[in-house]
Amino acid sequence: MLEYIAVIFSAILVNNIVFSQFLGICPFIGVSKNLESAFGMGMAVTFVMAVATAATWLLQHYVLVPLGIVYVQTITFILVIAVLVQMLEIMMKKISPSLYAALGVFLPLITTNCAVLGVAIIVAQKDFGFVYSIVYAIATALGFALALTIFAGIRTQLALADVPRSMRGVPIALIVAGILAMAFMGFAGIKIG
Amino acid sequence: MKSTLLTMTASLCGLALLVGAALAGVNILTEKPIAEAQAEARRQAIAAVLPEFDNNPSEEAIVTPDGLTLFPATKNGEEVGTAVETYSDNGFSGRFTILAGFDRDGRVTGFRVLSHSETPGLGAKMGEWFSAEGTSHDVTGHTQPFTLKNHGGDIDAITGATITSQAFMEALNRAAEACANKNSEP
Amino acid sequence: MNALRIIFDGIVKKNPTFVLILGMCPTLGTTSSAITGMSMGLATLFVLMCSNMAVSAIKSIVPDKVRIPVYIVVIASFVTILQMVMQAYLPSLYATLGIFIPLIVVNCILLGRAEAFASKNGVFASLCDGLGVGVGFTLALTLLGSVREILGTGAVFGCQLYSADYGALLFVLAPGAFIVLGLLIALFNRLYNNE
Repeated sequence: MLEYIAVIFSAILVNNIVFSQFLGICPFIGVSKNLESAFGMGMAVTFVMAVATAATWLLQHYVLVPLGIVYVQTITFILVIAVLVQMLEIMMKKISPSLYAALGVFLPLITTNCAVLGVAIIVAQKDFGFVYSIVYAIATALGFALALTIFAGIRTQLALADVPRSMRGVPIALIVAGILAMAFMGFAGIKIG
Repeated sequence: MKSTLLTMTASLCGLALLVGAALAGVNILTEKPIAEAQAEARRQAIAAVLPEFDNNPSEEAIVTPDGLTLFPATKNGEEVGTAVETYSDNGFSGRFTILAGFDRDGRVTGFRVLSHSETPGLGAKMGEWFSAEGTSHDVTGHTQPFTLKNHGGDIDAITGATITSQAFMEALNRAAEACANKNSEP
Repeated sequence: MNALRIIFDGIVKKNPTFVLILGMCPTLGTTSSAITGMSMGLATLFVLMCSNMAVSAIKSIVPDKVRIPVYIVVIASFVTILQMVMQAYLPSLYATLGIFIPLIVVNCILLGRAEAFASKNGVFASLCDGLGVGVGFTLALTLLGSVREILGTGAVFGCQLYSADYGALLFVLAPGAFIVLGLLIALFNRLYNNE
């Protein structure tokens, strides 16, 4: 049990996927202009990452490794993620229109979110167990959602600030992200268990 | 081109076949060099931490129950030392692995950091720090136990990276222990 | 002349890092030193040129509705080839760049150039576009890596400019990546959009 608490804590705060692993930066910059959409994106990524990691884990352990074709890992993983996202979108529309209304617009953007493919590959490389992989994926995605939400909160305030013209938009956002990353460095070295 | 079911299926299947064949081809071509490169990297690392030897330690590797790998090295059939691939999970940013060489009397002959994610400029200095000749933090020639000065030992910790240093000691002690156990067996 | 124009556009006007702001993950993740940044840029350049040419060559036989999956498969197979070749002949560089090599697949620059340029232009023009954008990306990563390495450790490409004791370590660490990139984009804005 302690093992799982440790991985959750580490993936959300210590090794935050945005601030210390540099994955998922594009949506982090792109979808952080207001709080609502940032939170929606965070939840959509959590959902997709959990399902995608489960699917790619099964694929890796029951298809690629037994057949000795691990070298097609990259291709199969990205295709599985793309198909999965498309299927989720269709299913969500049928089963739960309200969920679709909330998360639907973010789904197509997730295929090219490198955090999803990144986590699938990390899990395969480090040879995690099935349950551990899924816990890791969900925790990582929650870390992403946390980073995105905090960042969006700051950016809505930033919109009111008088920023030098060349710094407006992405440059100032990146510098704010740098300061946030510094804050997250404070969690480094903390251990549980 | 117009999208009909036929053209879509045909083009996707054709592409899959083509790509599959191309990748299988490249895989066959690079399989051997990849294996060789990995073996060569390991051989070089072992050679760097041990005195001269003439066997192939990788072939005689022993894996201990706690996950360490021992590479016994011999020259003219006589044991000259053992390289141990050891690790610590208590680094500043998680696990790091080092390859440490010990001679027959358990003295460190050298070590190499294989992988780590310690802070650049601080913990990441462990490679140079613990092998800096003539200093109080050089572990070469040292025997078990490896203890830092602030824990009553005689080895200086890296300035500003005590956690990494502590973990490094842990990894060395674990390796030395495994080495001693192996030597005490008949 | 036209080819040069396309290459130059890719490096400056459509610079993927400073103008289009694409491919942020490898830009931030692999630039803790100039040499790793440059290697990552060159790896991307290779895949970009190959995929641009391939996409342009098959553009007339690919049905419209399935073109995006086809582009992704083409890009992913070149990435896989690169992965295998690097593992075989440049194992230490492969270990340094780690997960960012397979992640070239989801670098928006590649799919972006395939869709926006290669699917509409000839093979040679697409090659030039790939070269230009790839070189632009490589230069940007090398610049970012150099700045971070100089400020952080006082050295660049193995040449010590001043003592590492005076380096501000922050710039080699994660926050430095964000801050330096932000400042460089601002500088690029200032120089290029000098209204």
